[in-house]
This record gives sequence, structure tokens and C-alpha cells, in this order.
Amino acid sequence: MHTSSENIPLIGPKPMPKYIRRSLFPLSIDDPQLGEKAFSSWADAIILDFVKKPGRDWQEDLKSRMPAAIHQAAKGGAEVFVRIERDVAAAELDATVFPGISGVVLKGVTGPEDIKAAAQRLDALEQSRGIASGSLEIDVEVNTAGGVWNSLEIARASPRIGTFLVNEQELCRNLGMQAAPTLEFDPLEYIKSQMITVAISVGGQALGMSYPLSLTQGNVGADALKQAVRIARDTGFKGAVCPHAAWIKVCNEGFRPSAEEAAYYVKVIEVFAEGLKRGMASVPIDGKMIDVPVDLRAKVYLKWAHRAQARDDEKARAHAAA
Amino acid sequence: MAEITNPRRSWMIVPAHDPALVMRHEGIKPDVVVLDLEYSVPPKSKEAARSGLADLVKKIGESQVDVFVRVDRDTRWADVRAAMYRGIKGVIFPGPEEPAEVAELGELIAAMERERGVDPGVTELVLMLESAKGYWNAAAIAQASPRVTALGVGRIDLTMRLGPVPQDEFRLYRFLMTRALVAARMLGKQPLGALWRPDSRGGVATKEASAKAAREARLMGFTGCVCATPDQVASVNDGFSLA
Repeated sequence: MHTSSENIPLIGPKPMPKYIRRSLFPLSIDDPQLGEKAFSSWADAIILDFVKKPGRDWQEDLKSRMPAAIHQAAKGGAEVFVRIERDVAAAELDATVFPGISGVVLKGVTGPEDIKAAAQRLDALEQSRGIASGSLEIDVEVNTAGGVWNSLEIARASPRIGTFLVNEQELCRNLGMQAAPTLEFDPLEYIKSQMITVAISVGGQALGMSYPLSLTQGNVGADALKQAVRIARDTGFKGAVCPHAAWIKVCNEGFRPSAEEAAYYVKVIEVFAEGLKRGMASVPIDGKMIDVPVDLRAKVYLKWAHRAQARDDEKARAHAAA
Repeated sequence: MAEITNPRRSWMIVPAHDPALVMRHEGIKPDVVVLDLEYSVPPKSKEAARSGLADLVKKIGESQVDVFVRVDRDTRWADVRAAMYRGIKGVIFPGPEEPAEVAELGELIAAMERERGVDPGVTELVLMLESAKGYWNAAAIAQASPRVTALGVGRIDLTMRLGPVPQDEFRLYRFLMTRALVAARMLGKQPLGALWRPDSRGGVATKEASAKAAREARLMGFTGCVCATPDQVASVNDGFSLA
């Protein structure tokens, strides 16, 4: 691939996808190997989870440990998020939001009021903790019927909304569905479609996996995983939460246009440009008609491929510097 | 998820104008007997069906089965007046589209409870979604009355209104089921519906096809459905029973 990303114009004011977050890897701040696991994972983002220790002031405990945990999680160049429960969001945000995180993953959301309350708390925390105003993102982990039904209002509740993460196992349980792949079809197919379109409608993106791996969450072989990621990507997901470290490499390689696809886009762009010079509005390539929207899509997807590569380069530099 | 205890699995439709057919339920044992004032009653027999409800409810009440009355959307006011006797658990309202319709019917039921000496507030309301508008407003209409205990997926009216070829697979159906399920679970209502296919609906349903439709619906999160014929009841009960 020889076309440089600098030569490819952005289509519209916003990039597609908004973020290069192909792999999100959850790790506990209590894990003594947190730093090593985050560093060696090559995940695009780390989600920090925590347990409130009984018999202690859990807020003070977390406040004393979060800055170091964030630093450790970020060493390999990953973005860092903290996972927060909606029911106790204000207290958990106070205890965990520190410089170095990109945002929070809010779990258990049922309506826009949850987002508004969290956004308001983040406004104050950004100011008091020296974080750029409005910079912290709110990602929504969708695991309730209310979160699905009210998804559009949730997405529109704050400009901080970035990503919808579909937690399919918990969502199935919340909907009374069998949280196992017992059906010939994906029972969450329409919900996934809804999450993807709602997230994109506010300039964000959705993360999730294809059925049945979305429910089994298994540590399957690379070939099966590659196939599942391909289906998830072609459904519209831009990445996935990885329950196993072994998923990360496949997700990083799969949730982006492949080298072959990128080469094809370069060809499309070049051949179409030639056609335009000859005064043509459309040109054929391999039996397919290339016209303005196809050319435009090729440019957008090629840009996506370059941005994914740039993200990999960025993480490589972080590794080299560590 | 709000826990739904003791879900009613099989809702057997029986034509309210025909007492002999109604009493067949005794040997079939559905979880719910639905005295129908809608499609299974010929227009000329509607009035007879209404006027016979009080006796039927009393008679069925002796068999300890839950009794509901399915009203006709177009004549629901007269139907509710005819149905409200001590002994019925609730009213099935097919095809609601607006919250105001549900609230109004809830108020009529309240008035009839007072008039007929039925304990106030005990009469349930089951909503069967049968139109695009109804699906879009599902959450709002389910919240329009505290009496609403179940939200169901209709079918025949849907095929008519949304336009797919009835004898073919109803390809919109899984989307509509998902929407009804999400609304029902969000609000703690019982989700009613089955994954009916051309060979598993109404009079053409085989036992196997009915069981499959119910089993797949259970895996999708539903807990009961309407049975158009007595032959479906046992299969539906099996399909909705947890393995």
C-alpha cells in the first residue's frame, strides 16, 4: 500500500470511525500483574475494574490507588477507562476519575437521566482534578432492557457519549433470554442493529461481537475468532471487549480494513480519478461499477486503515519508550 | 429484570358464544381460558356471546383456571361492560395504539368494578400489539394503566397491516418480537408471543410446530402465548416450561 494517509481527505468534519478502539481489555486494579498484562496485551484500550474492599473507606482506598493503576494500564499506549456502576455512579466517579483516563464506561444505564447525572459529576471532577474541560468521555455498557429501549435518548443526553458497548450475556439475562447460543439465529440481532445506528447517529460507535461468540465468549481458535470478528465488523461494530488476551491481536487486525481491502480501495481511487479525467462519471473495476459514492467510501475506508495503522505505530512507540 | 413469577404459558382462545366449546378447556388444561369476543365469534353471535359471559365466567370459575375476556378493538366499550363480572382475571385488548386508549379502557374497567362489586384494581389488562403504531408506542401504552400485566405480540392483524405475504415467512416478526420483549422486560410485564411460522399457526398448527414456536420464543425471553386451537395447549405448555 503506497498511498499515504495525508493524501486522503477526510470526508466531512468527523472521521469514521470516531475512535480506533478495536480491542478493549478489562483488568482489575487489584491484579498484581496489571501493568504487565496491560503492556503485553497490545489492547487499544484498557477498562479498569475494581472491587470495594469491605471494612475500609472504599472511596479513600480507590483514590489512593487509581492514579498509579491508570499509569500502569497506559504504559503500552492503551487508552484507559474506568468501569462505573450506574446505581452508585457519583461516589464511584469521585473515587476513580483522575488524569490519564479517556473516560468512563457506565454500566446499568436505563435512561438519559443516568447520563446527565454522570456528565454533571464529570464537569465538576474535570475542574477540580485538572482535567481538560469536557474531555472525558462516557461510554455506555448496554446490559438492560431500559438501556436498549431508551438508547436514542441516552445517546443524545450528553456530547460526552462516545461508544455503546453491548454486553450481550448480561443483556440476555435481563431480557429473560437464554444466555447461550441455543437458537439458529442471533436473538439480539435487532438490538445490535439499533445500538450501532443509534451510536453512529450521534457521531459515536458501537462495540460488540457476532453470534454465537458474543454469548459463549470462548477462547476459540484464531480462525474461528477471525471469522467472528469479520462478521462483527461487517455488521457495523468497530471493536469488541475482549474477555481473553488472545482475542486482542485478532480484534486489532480484524476491526479495520484488511491490507487486501486497502489495496483495492487504492485501486478504486486511482482508477476513478483516471475516469474523471477522461470525463466519465463511472468506471468499471472487476465487473463492479465505481462512481462517486464508491470512490468516497474507498477514501473513507482507506483513511480508516491508515488511522488503524497509525494507532498500531503509536502503541509500538509507547512500547519502545517503556 | 423484574422477575415474572408463575407465568401463564398457554392462553387458550375459546369462542364465547359457544358454551360447549368453552367447556372443552376442562380436559385440555390451559393456564388461561380466553373467552373471545373478537374473531372467533361470528358477527351475528356477538350479542349472544356478550349476554352469556356472566354465566360462563361463573361456570368456569369452579374449575380454578384463570379467565380473561378478549374484547374486540372496535366494540371494546360494550365488550368490557359485558365482561366485567367477579371471576374474570382480566381483559385482553387487541391492537392498542395510543396510551389514551389504554388509560380510557382502564378507567372503564374501574367504573365497572365499582358497579359490579369487583375488588377495585384487581382486573388486569393484557395488551396485544397488532399495528406498527402500537409497536412504536409499546412502552408508553404499557405504562398507560397500572392494570397492564402483559404485553403480547399479535400476528394476523400485523400481517394484514404491515403487508408481507401471509403464507410466507413473516420476516418482520423477529424484529417486532424483540421490540415487544424489550418493552415488556423493561416494565416488568409478562412478554407473550411465540415464533409462529406458516405451519405453526392457528388451525394448521401441528403439535411439533407449536412446541417449536413456543420453545424458540422461550429462548428469546417470552414466557407464554395465545393458543388458537386446543391442540396447541399441551405443546405450548411444554415449549414454555423450563427444561
